[in-house]
Amino acid sequence: MIPATYRASFSYLLRHPWQLALSVIGIAVGVAVIVAVDLANASARKAFLLSMDTITGEATHQVIGGPSGVSENTYARLRVEYGVRAIAPVVEGMISVDGTSLTLLGVDLFAEQDIRSFTSQAQSADPAAPSDETLFSSFLITPGVVTTSARTAEQLGLAVGDTFDVVADGRSRQAELLATLASDASNNPDFLLVTDIATAQEWLGQAGWLSRIDVRVDDGNEAALDQLRAALPDGTKLLSAAGRTRSTVEMSKAFMTNLTAMSLLALLVGLFLIFNSVNFSVLQRRNLIGVLRALGLTRRQLLAMILIEAGVLGALAALLGVGLGIALGEHLLELVSRTINDLYFRVSVTSISVEPFSVVKGIVAGIGVALVAAAVPAIEATSYQPRLALTRSSLEHRARRALPTVTGIGVVIMAAAVLLIVVSGANLVAGLAAVFLLILGFALCVPLCVSFSSTLTAPLAQKLGGTIARMAVAGIASGLSRTGVAIVALAVAVAATIGVSVMVDSFRGSVSAWLDKTLQADVYTGALRGAMDPDLIDAIRNLEGVEDISTRKRAWVEDASGRTQLRVFDIPPEDFGGAELLDADPAEAWPAWQARDAVFISEPFAYQKSIGAGDSLTLPTDHGPREFAVAATFQSYDINASGVMMSRKTYARHYLDDTIDSLGLYLANGIEADDIVAQVENLSAGQQRLYVGSNANLQRESMRIFDRTFVITDVLYWLTLGVAFIGILSAMLALQLERAREFATLRALGMTPTQVGVMITAQTGIIGLLSGLASLPLGVVMAFVLIKVINRRAFGWQIDMSIAPSILAMSVAFAVGAALLAGLYPAYRAGQSQPAIAMREE
Amino acid sequence: MSETSNEIELRGLCRRFREGEREQVVLDGIDLDVRRGETVALRGRSGSGKSTLLNLIGGIDAPDAGSVTVAKMELTGLSERERTLFRRKHIGFVYQSFNLVPTLNVADNVRLVLELNNVPAFQGSTRIDELLDAVGLADRMESYPDVLSGGEQQRVAIARALAHEPAVLLADEPTGNLDDATAEAVLGLLDKLVRDSSHTMLIATHSQHIALRCDRVLELHNGRLRETTSRPQ
Repeated sequence: MIPATYRASFSYLLRHPWQLALSVIGIAVGVAVIVAVDLANASARKAFLLSMDTITGEATHQVIGGPSGVSENTYARLRVEYGVRAIAPVVEGMISVDGTSLTLLGVDLFAEQDIRSFTSQAQSADPAAPSDETLFSSFLITPGVVTTSARTAEQLGLAVGDTFDVVADGRSRQAELLATLASDASNNPDFLLVTDIATAQEWLGQAGWLSRIDVRVDDGNEAALDQLRAALPDGTKLLSAAGRTRSTVEMSKAFMTNLTAMSLLALLVGLFLIFNSVNFSVLQRRNLIGVLRALGLTRRQLLAMILIEAGVLGALAALLGVGLGIALGEHLLELVSRTINDLYFRVSVTSISVEPFSVVKGIVAGIGVALVAAAVPAIEATSYQPRLALTRSSLEHRARRALPTVTGIGVVIMAAAVLLIVVSGANLVAGLAAVFLLILGFALCVPLCVSFSSTLTAPLAQKLGGTIARMAVAGIASGLSRTGVAIVALAVAVAATIGVSVMVDSFRGSVSAWLDKTLQADVYTGALRGAMDPDLIDAIRNLEGVEDISTRKRAWVEDASGRTQLRVFDIPPEDFGGAELLDADPAEAWPAWQARDAVFISEPFAYQKSIGAGDSLTLPTDHGPREFAVAATFQSYDINASGVMMSRKTYARHYLDDTIDSLGLYLANGIEADDIVAQVENLSAGQQRLYVGSNANLQRESMRIFDRTFVITDVLYWLTLGVAFIGILSAMLALQLERAREFATLRALGMTPTQVGVMITAQTGIIGLLSGLASLPLGVVMAFVLIKVINRRAFGWQIDMSIAPSILAMSVAFAVGAALLAGLYPAYRAGQSQPAIAMREE
Repeated sequence: MSETSNEIELRGLCRRFREGEREQVVLDGIDLDVRRGETVALRGRSGSGKSTLLNLIGGIDAPDAGSVTVAKMELTGLSERERTLFRRKHIGFVYQSFNLVPTLNVADNVRLVLELNNVPAFQGSTRIDELLDAVGLADRMESYPDVLSGGEQQRVAIARALAHEPAVLLADEPTGNLDDATAEAVLGLLDKLVRDSSHTMLIATHSQHIALRCDRVLELHNGRLRETTSRPQ
């Protein structure tokens, strides 16, 4: 049986169901956001790893080459001359079917037994499928036959035996669905099209070349690996398959860390909310606590009682939050996977996978936050003297007396945040921790500012709106133990929106200016997937009105330390101004870049590797590792930090690859870009599908992708604001309950319900205004830290901070609007106060 | 409108409250006339309906049957808003627990009522000065209620109740939260101010001592009123 003291305590909560509900909802939303982001991240990551497992199969290692891949001859030599058996050639690339991107995997079924087992998966997916032998022979004999997962086939509207168009290397090819593959816990062949290696080579324009050779070596068989390494020609390497997958996943780590930080922000606002709620419930029960203490309840028992109550509340909220989080995670997953697809790597994930660890994290966070939030009011309650009544005003006096101490602690915490930023170097997690310390420190300073503002503006309110206005303003300071926390919660949430909005806006401005400077050609065109047809390049170059062209090639090179993206350019000297060189004289750097083995490195790459102009960089080439001089660091907002800019001449000396991905066209004066776009479209029709667009179009499209990347950020901060809104609503309802007698007296003295309602509404409006104003300095500081510390550490970007006054004005307006909205119902309730209550005795 | 000089007229006043299935008759056909300037003590046991009767006279509550006429205004047919506006103008309240607005200082607590009645600021200030001087708190105008003693708070409440020159002052156990000496002082002050300005006062009390200061003493028992004694001359 529950002890009577606990029953007395819990029955208070049950008698105020709205207060209980709002606390539970507030913290549940915070937990839900954490769980949702965690599940979405984990699901995307898991789906990627699963699809990599499917593609990699049992391979333990992979032989890789330069940008062109590995020569077929290398594979043949390994198999025939060196007798290496557990190896399989792979051709891999991106294709599209009806606008849906898929990974094409070309395999040699003769070599597959030791690595993958697609034929057995095909049978398990479709009981009516042909036998193993029939599949095997069809796969080898019939050109263009493919298999994919049953789910992908269904999404594409394909049935076994259907023929359909595949766009590969910019050309349309005809494919036939031979069978469908099963998905299970260890396989995810979604968005994967498996075909014979010869078909893949033809479709992807890789005749004679392989993307890699998959190798299976027993654990610990170093001798076999050494033997294999010795057999490899220059320019090819043997790398661990797991290591390659890991380095790909690592690319998205900063993005996922930032999302987690955003989700923690929602929980932090939830912490203020539950603090407010527990604090208020303790204040409300001060007489009960006094009685219990008088009856012999010890301080320790009282502390335990309040903490257990908060723990139960937190557990309830956490359970609800986990349920909400799973539902929310489904929606976030789409946004997360879309951003990962836009920026990092192909991930196909359709549903959330509920990770027990994520659920446990959510529950621990919910209960933990509830206990932390309840600790201060619980300790405060233990200081109550065992007597029957402790007046409200004496409690407020105590709260006011504590303000300087609380503010001092806030200042110390903010100083600690600055110190942490200074001493933590490039550590992203330390940077995010510093942001949270800044928020916490600032939050502790807000109540004193509110108290001052309220006291200072009360006389002004009296002059402008009379005694009722004065009461509205003065009521904020006099009920600081509740209003202060609500203001802090709203201020933190609004500050977060300012910080993120200023960061995104500054980022957007910097990217837009960068694109404007970088994109110097009038028209851009390139192959949708793969290399451009050389004949088409010549035809475009010879178009009337095209004065000059630049060529571009993106290639990946890889060694044990990871992948590096090469951006290979052949650009006219007048286009040199397009790249902003940050640490070298352009007059010296550009000739070096063009003529000798010198490269430019992107700013994020320079930051990540701690190198710059004057240093050297070793890159894997088709002739083995080579050292290149770093001539300069260039500004770049490309998400791939590993950007190395190389001249075509240098590239040609070191890599056996003369393909070109895209062109920039410089037009003669008076030539309309749209005319050339139309001519390029005509030229390429029937030859190779190209994207083609004017400079303006390309900039627009780039900005569209940029904006899409931040949709998830928007969703997260709206959720945070939602939690803050609940905080204000809860605080105002609590105030209304606490001041019921005061409102009743005012009604008895002749104030109409409308006047009482207006007074409360004015008060909530002022709370919103104070929150909005308080959020400005924190928001701007947050923006500064996000731009100069977090973005730098996460992505290596240098962003010019620009604060649009409209963002600040909108944020303050939003805070006022949210507070007014949250105050409507409490205002209505206060207006309905029965004057008769004033007659009753306490 | 009444044609008499009575400030308060109650006729057949009934008020019932429902508690679940049970109906409790608190006031059962009350008839009462109180003349202008008269002070009347209302006695009765706890729960006898004293506060309910004051609420009905003050327009805070509406009767189930009968009529309430105060300051020649029949309250029974008024809407809630009309009763509020009536109360604002014609009624002053003094409560046992003072009920000062904690966020306003002493002067502003009094000013609040004047502002509600649209008294011009300069007139209001003069009136506040007069009243606070009269209750002996001229030097505490800027103080907030939480630093005042119980007696001081009740004196502010009396000033507030009289600020707008109400026709009727309703006091509910005004000395219930005060010690004997303070209660005596407050009561003396209330009595003086009410008589000096010829206000009509109805005061609910358990105290025989207070009752004896009034012109008439009424006892509420089983929902009905009976006159027990008159104030000694």
